[in-house]
Amino acid sequence: MSRSSVSAMNWEAQFKSDTSTLIQSGKNGKSRTGALALDSDNEDQDITMASASESDSARARPVSVAPELYIQDDESPLSQLTKHWMNERHAPDILPAQEELLASLLDHIRRQSEAVQLLRGEPSASEEEHIRIMLVQMEVERVKFIVRSYVRTRLFKIEKFARFIMTDATIQTRITTAERAHASRHAHLTDRHFHNSVLQSLPETQSHLDDTPIFMPPMITKPDESRPVFVHALRDCPPIRFHEDLTLEMKRGHISLMPFSFIEQLLLRGYVELI
Amino acid sequence: MSLPQSLRTSVTPPELELIASQQLIEIIPLIAIEKTAFISGAFGPLQPPRKAQIPLWMAINLKLKKKCHIVAPEWLSVEFLQSRLDEEINEPGFSKLPFRYAEVSKLLLDVQVTFAPDDIQSTDKIRYLLKDLREARQAKSREGVDQINRGELSLSNLCSMEINEIRPFFVHAMGILTHLHRDASAEDQP
Repeated sequence: MSRSSVSAMNWEAQFKSDTSTLIQSGKNGKSRTGALALDSDNEDQDITMASASESDSARARPVSVAPELYIQDDESPLSQLTKHWMNERHAPDILPAQEELLASLLDHIRRQSEAVQLLRGEPSASEEEHIRIMLVQMEVERVKFIVRSYVRTRLFKIEKFARFIMTDATIQTRITTAERAHASRHAHLTDRHFHNSVLQSLPETQSHLDDTPIFMPPMITKPDESRPVFVHALRDCPPIRFHEDLTLEMKRGHISLMPFSFIEQLLLRGYVELI
Repeated sequence: MSLPQSLRTSVTPPELELIASQQLIEIIPLIAIEKTAFISGAFGPLQPPRKAQIPLWMAINLKLKKKCHIVAPEWLSVEFLQSRLDEEINEPGFSKLPFRYAEVSKLLLDVQVTFAPDDIQSTDKIRYLLKDLREARQAKSREGVDQINRGELSLSNLCSMEINEIRPFFVHAMGILTHLHRDASAEDQP
């Protein structure tokens, strides 16, 4: 735990610079963002990631999966986020954004922190009361760590695939408006940098960033859908067809290693989690 | 960068411990605390000597302050682990253990040793058994390497820490096999 909190602190400093662009793009006329950003001091960077308006989140659902198909267990928001965090860490592709979940958790964190601040002020608190406050405070830090790690994982993928995101419409449906704005700026900045430093001095035929030369991987980094992942079936799954003569029906609790592309749909529908 | 290099390929053991310590465990409190609303739910009230269920991280924290005794889970006992070890040695498959047994047992054994060796009986014996179990299972998962193909590999009863341990190699190996196959079938139909 001590190691985690130390790295969380380092992350925070870095994170501020990483997300300053996001904060700005999120503030454009979203009343909700304004309200959240005003009364939170050290969490504003997290909040902006989660704060695109409700209408955006309705649009941001993946096209191929209807929302009602997603099986929601009777889980606390925290364990849901923990699951999404792990999925995001293991999946090669960017998964759909969990804006509502994130927003509600950040809200909860703020309320808990405010309560702690309030109780701290009381001089007459007993020893039991101190321990109680400390436990609440500790949990807030734990949840913050998970939230940060989740957001940073997405940010890492968005920067990595920035150029691809700008060209692909399906992946854009899975990210928030703020994340898309960040991807666009990132792609733009790197393009300009490459152009200014090298590409402008090269012959016209060699000065593009989106060539697909033969015998070479394409220049735009795409998510590697065939990368294997470890899956854990949360319930009995419909059969997966690998090729003509091999299908697999995963029972609840089954653990398996297989390429991401085979289980992507099951993952989006909540049948499996990545471990 | 937004994600440090060391975190990109896999999850780290401390992160797995963080997740595992979200699990509930039984304690005998030594202080009284009112019912409190946490983000993960409401816990308490704690009333000594009545047993209560709280998350593991909370229990460990209280334990370090000598404010509770942790009741060891049923599976963290010499009898249970011994029977699983026998099974592990005699049967071909992996025996059934709690998914996060490695993390939970480490967290619990760590606090036991530094403070009071009272809650978990015969700590040393349990340590040996856990180590033997780990080695027996590791040997089996290494044997699993030759079963990797491009399709799918079932690993029932494997635990979270063990998966994390074999992840880099297994993912890489299966990735290469998939690529080889894709290249071969692409050449078949030019």
